[in-house]
Amino acid sequence: MSLEWRLAWRNVWRNPRRTGLTIAATVFAVVLVVFFVAMAAGLHEKMIEDAVRLQSGHVAVAGAGYFENRTLEQYVVVDPAVEAAFDGAEGVRAWAPRVLGFGLLSKETDARGVAVLGVDPEREPEVTTLAERVQRGAFVSNDTPRGIVLASRLADNLGAEVGDVLFLYSQAWTLESAFDLFTVVGVMKIPDVNMDRSFAVISLADARDFFVYGDRASEVAVLASDAEAAPLVAAGLRSTLEGAEPVDVRTWDRLMPELVQFIFLDDAAMYMLLVILVVVVGFGILNTILMAVLERTRELGVLLALGLRPMAVFRVVYVESLALAGVGLLLGLVLAIPLVLWFEGHPVALTGEMAAATELFGMEPVMTWKLKPLNPIGSTITILGVAALAAFYPAVKAARGRPVDALRSL
Amino acid sequence: MGGRTAAVLAGLRRGGRFSTQVFAAIARDRILWRVAWRNVWRNGRRTGVVVTAIAVGIAGAVLSMAIQFGMVFQMVETAIATDLGHVQVHAPGFRDDPGLDHRLDDGGRAGGVALDELPQVAAWSPRVRASGLITSPRSSAGIQLIAIEPAREAAITVVSDSMVAGAYLDGDARRVLIGQALADRLHVKVGSKVVVSATDVHGDLAGEAFRVAGLYRTASLEMDRTTVFVRLSEGQKLLALGEAVSELVVRARDRKDAADLAAELGRRLGSEADVRTWRELAPLLVYFVDMFDQMAWIVYAAVFIAMAFGIANVLLMAVFERTREIGVMRSIGMNGQRVVGLVTLESVFLVLVGLAAGFALTGLGLFLLRDGIDLSRWAQGLNALGVSNTITPVLRPADVLAPVVVATITALLAGLWPAIRASRAQPADALRHV
Repeated sequence: MSLEWRLAWRNVWRNPRRTGLTIAATVFAVVLVVFFVAMAAGLHEKMIEDAVRLQSGHVAVAGAGYFENRTLEQYVVVDPAVEAAFDGAEGVRAWAPRVLGFGLLSKETDARGVAVLGVDPEREPEVTTLAERVQRGAFVSNDTPRGIVLASRLADNLGAEVGDVLFLYSQAWTLESAFDLFTVVGVMKIPDVNMDRSFAVISLADARDFFVYGDRASEVAVLASDAEAAPLVAAGLRSTLEGAEPVDVRTWDRLMPELVQFIFLDDAAMYMLLVILVVVVGFGILNTILMAVLERTRELGVLLALGLRPMAVFRVVYVESLALAGVGLLLGLVLAIPLVLWFEGHPVALTGEMAAATELFGMEPVMTWKLKPLNPIGSTITILGVAALAAFYPAVKAARGRPVDALRSL
Repeated sequence: MGGRTAAVLAGLRRGGRFSTQVFAAIARDRILWRVAWRNVWRNGRRTGVVVTAIAVGIAGAVLSMAIQFGMVFQMVETAIATDLGHVQVHAPGFRDDPGLDHRLDDGGRAGGVALDELPQVAAWSPRVRASGLITSPRSSAGIQLIAIEPAREAAITVVSDSMVAGAYLDGDARRVLIGQALADRLHVKVGSKVVVSATDVHGDLAGEAFRVAGLYRTASLEMDRTTVFVRLSEGQKLLALGEAVSELVVRARDRKDAADLAAELGRRLGSEADVRTWRELAPLLVYFVDMFDQMAWIVYAAVFIAMAFGIANVLLMAVFERTREIGVMRSIGMNGQRVVGLVTLESVFLVLVGLAAGFALTGLGLFLLRDGIDLSRWAQGLNALGVSNTITPVLRPADVLAPVVVATITALLAGLWPAIRASRAQPADALRHV
């Protein structure tokens, strides 16, 4: 251990009470930072995963302009050649073609405007969790033609139950009126409240028949191995599918820009508060080091008079500050990491109004934590950085002292 | 059991009386105040650092809460200004099942008479609400059809002020107003023809062609995508409603009057009408606001706990370097209570100076941000939440109250240990101390 380190370490413990309080403040800040960053990471990852699995998939392929307009006018043709392209694409875990249309669904005197999604009964469950969301009855299947699955609030509002016959009215791809009777085969719970009020699922075959859509699809949803693999999968599909028809291949973050922006804003709000917390702790370190330097004016003067270079004095003070923060940081991480890991294994289910509020944002009412490696690393860099900033003024002050003045003081 | 409880209570009472007496004694002790205030400034640099820390912490926390609350506040404002109004009157049952079955058959006349007599009412308007489908030559979409009296509605909601193309509903017959977002989806512009279909009151499918009079854009993307306005009489005709309406929407002169207004209106209309305030109509929004209020306390508590260590540290240092001085004071007759009072007062002064500086800094921040923060880069995500592109910080009473309360508690607690340490010193030992 070099001289500076030995001096610094000894200095840190010269006033254990003061050091203890400063370390306690650092520990408090580190625990809060790690805990809240992990909570936000868990929340955001869950939001993305929920959204991807609820509807969009990791990657979606559609006709050019579909994502802006979402009308029947934009489509991709899903012929055997295209099917082969999806089956052969690298990183694709599953894929499912869909048809999305809008219509008026009525039961006796009640009617609601709905988004009607036509899905392949076999393929869709491999990509999204729609089929698992059925609470009563069953998901659509190819064995029960003209079956429809209603979102729960839509079913409530229409007063419809499994077995009821509903009238669906819309406009076909050919621009003629389209209408037919559908039998409710199931009711599903959609976490997003707005969607839960206005969403219904029919089979792909029925949708193509109803909207006179041939072998077209509005989009093909693709499940990749995970969210991080999405860009690669998208690039692969883009190069294989580029041909006669212009297609638009998008990854989840571009399918749901609102979600990405929400996450950004949420992060911004949280980091703003954490930065304030860390700054407050930084001032605490500054004060401790400043006091430590000022009460040692004479001692530092002696060191300088004995020939210690000003730079060495500067380093001693610096190391002192870093050691102080470092001990707090270590203790903080030792406390925070097991805490967060425990919460990672024990998600907290929300109840009552809080659950209702999270559902308003389309999320399941569960709080989860996720410790990403960047979290403790970032915390370490931040705390040490703040300690380095805080030590600058006291260190300069210590190094600049003139031995003669210093020895005369006190 | 009972005896013990009584003893504890008596003890508490004694303790309470004791501390009240001590506080009273300290409060009257002018010399103590003067000494404490002078002590705060004995080490200007050290005090400066703590005061800066408190000021930056408070200003940062209060400002960031004000900005975030500005967002929440806008969500509420948007909901009220685009759709909710302050109070709504429906037929009983409408809230559970918002269909045409639950309607005000008299066209809201009874409610209107009552509303015209109430002084808190700024404006009111009848509406018809139905779920429907809009079809353009290129596409179709599910919609919320709202039939309004254009002039009256303009006094309540912002749609008339939010036109981005064309004109608000006036003059020509069979016109609709649609949101810019919906127009983009349907590929229509001002003057285009669209068909609005809905199920009428008898359960028959009814459709009618309209021309787009104008396009609006509000802070709520949800509304822009789904809400279509037509004239009240045309809506009633389309849905075969006669003169019945779905609701009366009321704007109060002041939002705070909403509850009184609703209560009074409810009394006058009796059981034939269901009168609700915006808080009852949007319970989740209210919950969100309440949750935010609770969050504010947690945030301030976290920031102040971090500060408490620093404050305790400074006081402790101040006490230790004055060991001799305190010994002198004790030996010339100052009792332990007064020493505790002295150090506690120092702590309180220190925090109060920090608070003052913090609020000054907050004021400066609010002044600099008075025109709002432009977040148009994240506009889509904001609009999906019903928040516009520019956010103006909103300071609530809680943002002033919470820091003051938490700071005072922090000052008392952080000062406690140093204060007790100081009071315990034996005068003889202290005097021997350098």
